[in-house]
Amino acid sequence: MEPNDRLSLDAWANPSSSCNGLPRKMSLENPSFTNFNLQQQEQKWDDTSILNYGIRIEPPFLEFNQASESEYLLSSTCNNQPKVLDQEDGLNNEALQTSKSLDWDPRTMLNNLSFLEQKIHHLQDLVHLIVGRKGQALGGHDQLVTQQQQLITADLTSIIVQLISTAGSLLPSVKHKLSTGPPNGQLGEFLFPPLAGMNCVPQPQHGSGSKAVQPLQHGSGSKAVQPQCVTGSKVSDQCNQMDVTGSFGTEQNLSIEEHEMKEEEDADEGENLPPGSYDILQLEKEEILAPHTHFCTICGKGFKRDANLRMHMRGHGDEYKTPAALAKPNKESSLEPVIIKRYSCPFAGCKRNKDHKKFQPLKTILCVKNHYKRTHCDKSYICSRCNTKKFSVMADLKTHEKHCGKDKWLCSCGTTFSRKDKLFGHIALFQGHTPAIPLEETKGPSLSCDKMDGNEASNKSGNINFSFGSNAGGGAQNIIEVKEDADDPASYFSPLSFDTCNFGGFHEFPRPTFDDSESSFSFLEAP
Amino acid sequence: MSTRYTPILSLLTEDLLIQVNEKLVQDSDRKKWRLICKEFHRVDSLTRKTLRVLHVEFLLTLLKNYTNLHTLDLSVCPRIEDGTISLLLHHVDHSIWARNLKCLNLSRANGLKFAGLEMLVGACKGLESVDVSYCCGFGDREAAAISGCEGLRELRMDKCLGVGDVGLAKIVVGCGRLERLSLKWCMEISDLGVELLCKKCLELKFLDVSYLKVTSESLRSIASLPKLEDLAMVGCPYVNDVGLQFLEIGCPSLQKIDVARCDCVSSSGLSSLIGGHSGLLHIDAGHCFSEVSPTIVKCIQKLKNLNTIIIDGIRVSDTIFQTISSTCNSLIEIGLSKCEGVTNMGIIKLVSGCVNLKIINLTCCRSIANAAICAIANSCRNLLCLKLESCNMITGKSLEQLGLHCLLLEVLDLTDCCGINDRGLERLYRCSRILCLKLGLCTNISDKGLFYIASSCPELQDLDLYRCQNIGDDGLAALSSGCKKLRKLNLSYCVEVTDKGSKSLGYLEELSDLELRGLDKITSVGLTALVTRCKRLIYLDLKHCEKIDDSGFQALAYYSRNLRQGGWGNQDTAMNKNECIAIFYGDTRYLNETE
Repeated sequence: MEPNDRLSLDAWANPSSSCNGLPRKMSLENPSFTNFNLQQQEQKWDDTSILNYGIRIEPPFLEFNQASESEYLLSSTCNNQPKVLDQEDGLNNEALQTSKSLDWDPRTMLNNLSFLEQKIHHLQDLVHLIVGRKGQALGGHDQLVTQQQQLITADLTSIIVQLISTAGSLLPSVKHKLSTGPPNGQLGEFLFPPLAGMNCVPQPQHGSGSKAVQPLQHGSGSKAVQPQCVTGSKVSDQCNQMDVTGSFGTEQNLSIEEHEMKEEEDADEGENLPPGSYDILQLEKEEILAPHTHFCTICGKGFKRDANLRMHMRGHGDEYKTPAALAKPNKESSLEPVIIKRYSCPFAGCKRNKDHKKFQPLKTILCVKNHYKRTHCDKSYICSRCNTKKFSVMADLKTHEKHCGKDKWLCSCGTTFSRKDKLFGHIALFQGHTPAIPLEETKGPSLSCDKMDGNEASNKSGNINFSFGSNAGGGAQNIIEVKEDADDPASYFSPLSFDTCNFGGFHEFPRPTFDDSESSFSFLEAP
Repeated sequence: MSTRYTPILSLLTEDLLIQVNEKLVQDSDRKKWRLICKEFHRVDSLTRKTLRVLHVEFLLTLLKNYTNLHTLDLSVCPRIEDGTISLLLHHVDHSIWARNLKCLNLSRANGLKFAGLEMLVGACKGLESVDVSYCCGFGDREAAAISGCEGLRELRMDKCLGVGDVGLAKIVVGCGRLERLSLKWCMEISDLGVELLCKKCLELKFLDVSYLKVTSESLRSIASLPKLEDLAMVGCPYVNDVGLQFLEIGCPSLQKIDVARCDCVSSSGLSSLIGGHSGLLHIDAGHCFSEVSPTIVKCIQKLKNLNTIIIDGIRVSDTIFQTISSTCNSLIEIGLSKCEGVTNMGIIKLVSGCVNLKIINLTCCRSIANAAICAIANSCRNLLCLKLESCNMITGKSLEQLGLHCLLLEVLDLTDCCGINDRGLERLYRCSRILCLKLGLCTNISDKGLFYIASSCPELQDLDLYRCQNIGDDGLAALSSGCKKLRKLNLSYCVEVTDKGSKSLGYLEELSDLELRGLDKITSVGLTALVTRCKRLIYLDLKHCEKIDDSGFQALAYYSRNLRQGGWGNQDTAMNKNECIAIFYGDTRYLNETE
C-alpha cells in the first residue's frame, strides 16, 4: 500500500480542493479512489495519441446526431441528471445497486453489461482524448483546443445518452428507483474513471460503491504509476469546467455547428469533396507522435491496434471473451450512413492544416501520422549503410534500405538517384549541378602519384602542395566527412578512394571522401 | 643593344626584326633564323606563338624561353605525365607560359591523368581550345578536370573511351560556352549525355557524335540547338529517318551534315533533312543507303549553295550528275568513291556545270576512262585533289591533260592504276605544286619515272611507291636530291632497293614516316646510314627486312630519338633484339611493336 499512500497524498490535494463539499466519511475509501483516478490519468498520459479513438468516437456521434436529434436537448439535460443524482443519492444508491444487480438474471445482465462496457470504452477513449487535449492546452494553447474540446464533449454527451437509454431499456421490471439507479451506477463506474479529469466531484461517490471499479482498482493498484503534479492541476482545472455539464451540452451543440460551418468553408477551397460531406478532425502533436494508441485499462499495456488490444483483453477475464467484446466496436454503427472523415494537420501554416487557405485534408489517420512526421519532425532514422539519408518515418527508412546502395547516381549537391536519367534531369534543371563521379576508377592516379613522388623526390612537397591545393575549395566539406567516418573505415568504398579524392577531382562529391589533410596519408600507410 | 655586336643590326630595330621574323613560315627557316645570333633568337622567342614539342625533356627549357605562347602542342610528346606538369608549373617562372596559353593539344597524352590535367587546367586560365583526342584512357575524372576550363570554346575528345555521360555532363556544366565539340568514338556516351549537352551548351556550332550509340532521341535534342552549323554523325547505327525529321525542323543555322554510314538512314530521311535546310553547304551521305532516289535528286535541286557532296558507295545514275551540274554551280568537292554507275558521260555532264570543283574522288570508279579525266582537266582548272585509285583504264593521256591544265594540283592518287607508266609521269612536269603522290601498285613505274617526279615536284611531301617493284637505288637517289621536303615515303616491297638507296634516303632530312617493309636487300649498314641522318623519323616500318641485325637496331635506338612507332619482326638475328628494344623503350615508351 505504500505506493497507494503516496499516490493518495498527491492526489488528495486535487479532489479535496475542488470537492470540499464532499462528505468526509468517504475519506476511508478515498485512498484507493484517488489511486484509481490517478491511474487512469496516468494511462491517459501514456496514450496521448488517439488514432483510433477518432474512428471510434465517430459512430456514436453519428448515431446520436441521427437518432436523437430531438432527444438531444433532453439528453443534455439528462446528462447532468445522473450527476445530480449521483451527487444526491451518493452512497446509498451504490449499496442498493450492487445487491440488486446480483439478484437479477445474470445472463441478460452480462450481455447488458458487455454492451455497456463497450460504450464505456468509447467514453473512456473520449476522455483520453480530452486529457490529451488538456496536455496540449497546458503547453500553451488556444481557441483550436477549446473547439476540439467542445467537439469531444459533444460526442461524450451523445454516448452518455445512449448509455442511459440502453441501460434503462435493459432493466424494464426494476423499480423506478432501481432502474435509474443501476444504470447510473454503472455509468458512474465506467464513466468516471475516464471522466476523472472532468468530474472529480461525482466520481468518488460512485466509485466507492461500485463493484466493477474495485477490481479495476486492485488490478492496477500496485501498478498505478507515479502521480504527476500536472495531472493534479489538470484535474482541478477540469473540475471547474465540468461542474456545469448540463448547460454545457446545449452550448456546445451550437458551437459545434459553427465549427463545422467554418471547416466546410475551408474544405471548399481544398478538396473536391462537396462541402459538408466530410468532417475534419485534427489530432494534436502528442497524439500523432505517440507510439501506442490503445491501452489496456487494466494493466496499462499499450497497443498499436485496437484489435490487438481486444485480443489482449481476453486474458483479463471471461467477460472480455464474449463475441460482443471481441467484435469491432463500431460495427453496429456501420448501418448508419457514413460521413466521410478528413483530417487536419495540427501544424499551423501547413497546407494540411485546416486554417490554410488551400487546405488539403488528409484521408486517414495514418496519413496524418506520416505526414506530420515527414514534414514537421526531425529525421531521426539514419540509414546505417549510407549514413546520409535520414527519415522520420521508420517505414521510409526500411523502404530506403531496400534500395540503399543502388542509388549510385549522385549529384554534386548530394542528392542521390536510382536512375541515371533522373540524375540528368536534375542536372539539367539546376544551374551548376554536376554529377559526382563514383569512386571506382582510382588505380591509375594512385600509380602516377607514386611515380611523381619518386621521380621528383626533391620537390615533393611543392608538388604535393600544388596538386592538392586545388582541392582546397571543397576541402572543408570533406574534412568533416572524414572525421565523421574516421572510426568506420569499412563504410568507405575502398581504401583506394584516398588517391582520387586526394587529387581533388571531387570536391563536390558528397559521400565521405578523404581530404588532402595529413590524416589521409596516415590512412594510406595504415593497412 | 644589338648594335654592340654587328653593324648591320644597327639598322634593324626590334620591330623590324619581328616583322621579318613573321614572314618566315617554314620551321627550317625559323630554325636558321634562331641560330644567327642571340638577338635573333630573342626576337624569335618573343614572337613565337605556337610550339610543338617532340621531347618532353626539353619542355622545361622551351617553356622558360617562350613565354608568349598561344598554342602548345604536346601531341607528339606522349610521355607527358602528371609529374611533368607539376614540374613545369612550379619551375618555369611561376608558369607565365600557362597564363597566355589559349590552345592546348594533348592528343594521345595517355600518360596524363586527371590530377595533372587539373593542375594544368587550373594554371591555364585562358584556355579556349583543348584537344585530348585519342587519350584512350581518359574517363569521367579527366573530363571533370577539363571541365575546369570555364572559357573553353573548342574541345576535341575523340576516342576518349572512358568518358561517359557523367564526364560529358561535367564538361557541359563547367564549359557552358563550348562552340565546337567532338565526341567521336566516346562510346560510353548515350542519349542522356547528348540531351544534357544540348540543354546546357546553346552556343554549339560544331558537334561530332560519330560512332556513338545514340538514337534519334539525341537528334531531337540536337535539333534544339539554335546555332549549330556543323553536325557530324558518322556511323550512328541507331539513328534513323525519324531523327533526321527532327533536324528538318530544327537547327536553323545548319550548314554541314555528315550522316555517312548511318545504316538506318534512308534516302527519304535525308531528303526530308535537305528539305528543311536549303542553305546546306556540305552533305556527306556516304554508304548510307544503296541508291540515289529521285526524291533526293529533287531535293538537291534546292541546294544552290552546295559546296560539298559526298555519296560514297551509293549507286548513282547520270541524272544526278545532270542535276548537280545544273544546280550546284559552286560545288567544290564531290566524293564518288566506290559508287556504282559512274560513267564517263556522267562525269562529263558534271564538270560541264561545276567548273569550280577542286576535289574529286573517283576511287574505284572502274568504268572511268581517259575521256572523263580529260573533261575534268579541261573544265576544272582549279583542281587540287584528284583520286583515281583503281581506275584501271586511266593512261598517260589523262596525266598529260592534267599536266597541261591543272597546274594547282596538290594531291594525285594513282594507286593501282596499271595504265600509268614513266612517260605518263613525265607529262606531269608542270604540276609543280604536287604535295602528295600515290603510285602504289603501279608496277610500270621505274627509276626513270622517279627521276621525272624528282625534277618536277620539288614540293612533294608524301610519296607512295608501295610494290613498285621496278624502283631501284638510282630512283631513290634522284628523289633524295629533288624532293627535299619529302616527309612520308612508302617503299614497302620495292625489293630492288639496297643499302645504297637506303643511304641516299638519308639525305631527306625532313623524313618522318618511312616504310621499308619486305626490303630484304637492306642491311644494318644501310639502316645505320639512314638513321644517322634522318633525325626526324617518327614512324619506321622494318618488318620482313631480314638482313637487318642487332647493329642496325642499336644504331636505330641510338640515333632515332624521335621514333614513336616502329614495326619490326621476322629478322633472323633475334638474339639481342630484345636488348635493342629495351633501349627503345627507354626512350620511346609508347612504341608500338608489331611482331
